[in-house]
Amino acid sequence: MMNDQRFFDLAMKVIARQATDAERAELDALLASKPELRTQLARLQADVRLAKDVLPLVKATKATGEILPAYARERLQTKVRQTLGRPAAGQKPDRSLAWGWRWILGLAAATAAVVLIMAMIFHTPRGPIVQVAMLDTVGAVRGPDTNQLEILKQQWKDSTIQNFDKTDLLQNWEQNWPAGNKMTVKVIYDRAAGEVRVLLHKGDKTEQKTFLVEQDLADTIKRASDFIQARQE
Amino acid sequence: MNPPDLRRLQQGDKEAWDVAFDCLWPAAFAAARSVLHPVLTNEVEDVAIEALEALAEKVRSLKSVEDLKPLAAAIAHNRAVSLLRERFAQKRDAGKTESLDVPAGESGHIDEPVSEASPLDKLEQKELAELLRRSLAELKPPQGEILSDFFLQDLCYEEIVQKRGVPIGSVGVYLKRGLETLLKIWCREENK
Repeated sequence: MMNDQRFFDLAMKVIARQATDAERAELDALLASKPELRTQLARLQADVRLAKDVLPLVKATKATGEILPAYARERLQTKVRQTLGRPAAGQKPDRSLAWGWRWILGLAAATAAVVLIMAMIFHTPRGPIVQVAMLDTVGAVRGPDTNQLEILKQQWKDSTIQNFDKTDLLQNWEQNWPAGNKMTVKVIYDRAAGEVRVLLHKGDKTEQKTFLVEQDLADTIKRASDFIQARQE
Repeated sequence: MNPPDLRRLQQGDKEAWDVAFDCLWPAAFAAARSVLHPVLTNEVEDVAIEALEALAEKVRSLKSVEDLKPLAAAIAHNRAVSLLRERFAQKRDAGKTESLDVPAGESGHIDEPVSEASPLDKLEQKELAELLRRSLAELKPPQGEILSDFFLQDLCYEEIVQKRGVPIGSVGVYLKRGLETLLKIWCREENK
């Protein structure tokens, strides 16, 4: 007698178009002898459609390996500050102040907010987005060179410095460009190769220039920075 | 990677969020890509970022750190579906017939990916996140992996045996139990 599991296996293979001729014939014979199984087969087909809808999302939830782009981290941290940086909900206001004082304080706060907003508007950086990374393949063993990281940080104070110890992770990072037409720059200091690479990306075009670390890193970084500024103008 | 501390996230702690972003990014990115690739691949990154921004707004309502990944994936999925619908609606309104953003020659014909209603599309973010969380918890290894091999990778029973090192007789059993688990979780919700 045909058991449930055998019927299930045959049905799965036929639905997935993986059945051999013999297996297809076996299922056909079974359906001919037990017509009530047709209902089960139809139900399994619907179940498979559901599984194909749901599984990509279940799989996505378990995904690993994709690296967050540096520009996205900065944008997200800004969002966190804006959303969660406020005083905790439920905190009771100080009711000891007289109404007159509240007026004055309210006015002062409003003025400060306006000044802050104006300052933010007029100080919005107009330059390109600069993303910086250091490839140090032996850093994990030796420990990172904090002096060199510091030099990079000093030059690009507003950028997060990504530190990679594997070339494939760096390559992945290099290929991640933000959408839009604003110029984005990636600066990569390859410690082993003794070079600083600059990638400029705008629209669908990417330009690359390599600077050899001839004397010291700070000097090379300065040349790379001058190059970026010249391209921006 | 250690999971982030939910309480610190709720307080807006920068370091905790750095950990969370690294941990959640692959899920948000993959969820957006599963909907938008290959039609709107250029939008995947933006949708994933927006999903994590939205997550920051919802974090104070979460009770467990285990809810973070499913919620990030659910938000990214729903935003990706909305974007895809919006773009196809624009395309229809404009009377265009060519596919969106797919380079010529890469694909002969692109169907409207969300034209057939998926049961997922009816769910709110929180419901979807809860079903995802339950799916992750209840699909015991290697059930989830074998379901994915068979239904998403189109591997046959013999290939699954080689890949997963399970007996040939067990493949169908894992598939059957895995499918039953999915149905138990997702159909109950669908029939509400």
